[in-house]
Amino acid sequence: MKVSQSAKEKTKVKILESAVELMTIKGYKNASLREIAKEAGVSNPTIYNYFPNKEKILYAYIEQKLIETGQVLKEIEDFHTYTLREQLQTLIETQLEFYLEDREFVTQIMSMALTPSMGAMELIYESKEKFTEMVSEMLDIAIEAEEIAEPPFKEYMPQLFWDYNVAVVAYWIKDDSEMFENTTQFIDNSMGVIEALLHSNILQKTSDLGMFMFKTHMLSSLQKFSTKQSGFNKIKRKLGEVFNEK
Amino acid sequence: MKNSIPTTKMSRGGVVGKAMLKIGVSHSKGVVKRAFMSKEKKEESQKETHAEIAKVIIESLGTLKGISVKIAQQVALGLPFLPQEYLDEISKSFNSIPPINKALIRKIIKQELGNYPQGVFESFESEAFGAASLGQVHLATIKGEKLAVKVQYPGIAKSIDSDLGVLKFALTRFAKGGNIDHLMDEVEARLNEEVDYEIEAENTEYFYNNLKHDLIVIPKIMRELSTKTVLTSSFLEGDGFEEFLAKNPTQEERNHYAQLIFDSFFMGLYHMQMIHADPNPGNFIFMDEGKLGLIDFGCVKKLDNEFLASFSKLHVSLMDKVDDSEVTQQYADLKMIDKDSPEKMLEFYQEVIKPLDRIYIEIFEGDSYDFKENNDFSERGFNTIMEVQKKSITAVHNMNEDYIFVDRTLLGYYSMFEKMEATIDTRFAQKLVRY
Ligand SMILES: Nc1ncnc2c1ncn2[C@@H]1O[C@H](COP(=O)(O)OP(=O)(O)OP(=O)(O)O)[C@@H](O)[C@H]1O
Ligand SMILES: [Mg+2]
Repeated sequence: MKVSQSAKEKTKVKILESAVELMTIKGYKNASLREIAKEAGVSNPTIYNYFPNKEKILYAYIEQKLIETGQVLKEIEDFHTYTLREQLQTLIETQLEFYLEDREFVTQIMSMALTPSMGAMELIYESKEKFTEMVSEMLDIAIEAEEIAEPPFKEYMPQLFWDYNVAVVAYWIKDDSEMFENTTQFIDNSMGVIEALLHSNILQKTSDLGMFMFKTHMLSSLQKFSTKQSGFNKIKRKLGEVFNEK
Repeated sequence: MKNSIPTTKMSRGGVVGKAMLKIGVSHSKGVVKRAFMSKEKKEESQKETHAEIAKVIIESLGTLKGISVKIAQQVALGLPFLPQEYLDEISKSFNSIPPINKALIRKIIKQELGNYPQGVFESFESEAFGAASLGQVHLATIKGEKLAVKVQYPGIAKSIDSDLGVLKFALTRFAKGGNIDHLMDEVEARLNEEVDYEIEAENTEYFYNNLKHDLIVIPKIMRELSTKTVLTSSFLEGDGFEEFLAKNPTQEERNHYAQLIFDSFFMGLYHMQMIHADPNPGNFIFMDEGKLGLIDFGCVKKLDNEFLASFSKLHVSLMDKVDDSEVTQQYADLKMIDKDSPEKMLEFYQEVIKPLDRIYIEIFEGDSYDFKENNDFSERGFNTIMEVQKKSITAVHNMNEDYIFVDRTLLGYYSMFEKMEATIDTRFAQKLVRY
């Protein structure tokens, strides 16, 4: 029997929802694929067909939320009138809005990501493609519309912005202010910095300085959230890779 | 992040601490310098120090932003004895809240009203049309009706305490006249009310239901679309104060609107026992057909019968020019003069209060008052305050906050009338005062 694309999509979402629910209740470690399959009402072979292992579920979750985020952005009629900063900020905020529904689950992902033995950081980074695609598109449009000049290291920008995105989520996880007001301010303020950087010719003149500032900014943000130094080092290494690719 | 509003305890504490340190330095430098100076020079230097300190305070409030703008307004409204240097710096710091961009406005509306702007309203302009002191105002429509949606910048409410900390520290040390605790408490209470748009919604509705005047329009609040930080009301179409003046209105028009503003104040005071205590020209909308829009009930003041009785009695005494000892007693009853020997109290009245209330009561002495002819009204008032400031006796006594708020508000209106070059008819007000 040939399963249609949309039915496949539906099953995937169903499994993801069940996984989030079970992992929220029992914890990531204690929820087995078998149980998730049962919860989702699919057979064992089926679930392995979609997700050969549990890590793949995390990956798919992040990607799924990004797909949904993309859909929301598409529905904004006057999105083309948004400045680059507003577009990027909307991307971050909308994604966070989806995470809000599954906050406990996302907290688990983040804490695994920051625990060295878990290796979830790699997974988080693997799922970034969808995100960087969206950012690239926004950047390209802004450059074409001459809102900003083309930055000398344009191809790295989406990756840097993804790192920033991870920092934001980490901040939000630790945020205990009412309505996560601190996160709202953190995003608004740091986006202000990013906007200023994108518009300044610092980036034009000395791309290295721009890189340096971004890197320092990112690292110091992340340092705050990581409880274990080793977890931090992992991110640092990851960031290092991004920078060293250059 | 230079432009961030630091709201976590630690970072705000850090900024506050820095401000205090700076003030300390600036103050003691002044004291040391002054110790070696002649008298005139002393005054000059004191002024300098004040200006310097004011700058430091405002600078630090500037980095704290948020609520500070409101504090500054409140202080300017509530501290008649504050040196002008402070007021100047304070007024410079107005309107300095960061703008809420399109991404943020979407988030706030969704968070507060449950859906994105396009989902809540038929149309929503993501560019704001008005600047509020703690946020901004957007135009929206539902069923073709125009709405004003006031949105507060997130995280402001919690910054009140630490901002007040800086200010209190600064004012207690440097504002003339010792004890300002009661005033700070008043300011704090006011601020907590002002950041809560639900209270503003209630106040607006109170005025909407009770201020009955054919030519005064008060916005209708949309409760289902309002929360603590979002306030949605009907949009009042018309000109702002500056726009109104720029159109060169006739004398008649000027008088008409000034009269409405003046009368609505006294109607509130005597018929509703509540006044709109924010005499900012931005809070009036000059509408078609001679109508006046009254907006922004974030700062209102409730007054009780006891206060109204003493307030009226005092005004009648001043209008009728009864003798000074009688007036002194009435000020004492109003708790504007501390209990002391009759001679001391009389001296305080004659030296400090009388020069001011002579000017103030001019308005009520005839049937009307021409602010075009008397266009030096506020200047005289201001100079008199400065004169009074210089007297050693100004070690300020208690102040009745109600009285100060009422007076300050009226004085705010008068400076608007001066700019409008209007003549107001004071008979209605006088009748109410003599009720
Ligand atoms: N209902 C309304 N109709 C028309 N314009 C409005 C309305 N509400 C607000 N505005 C516009 O927005 C501006 C700011 O609104 P408002 O005075 O309520 O803000 P605020 O935060 O209380 O500011 P402030 O305390 O500094 O006066 C007003 O000066 C006015 O121009
Ligand atoms: Mg106003």
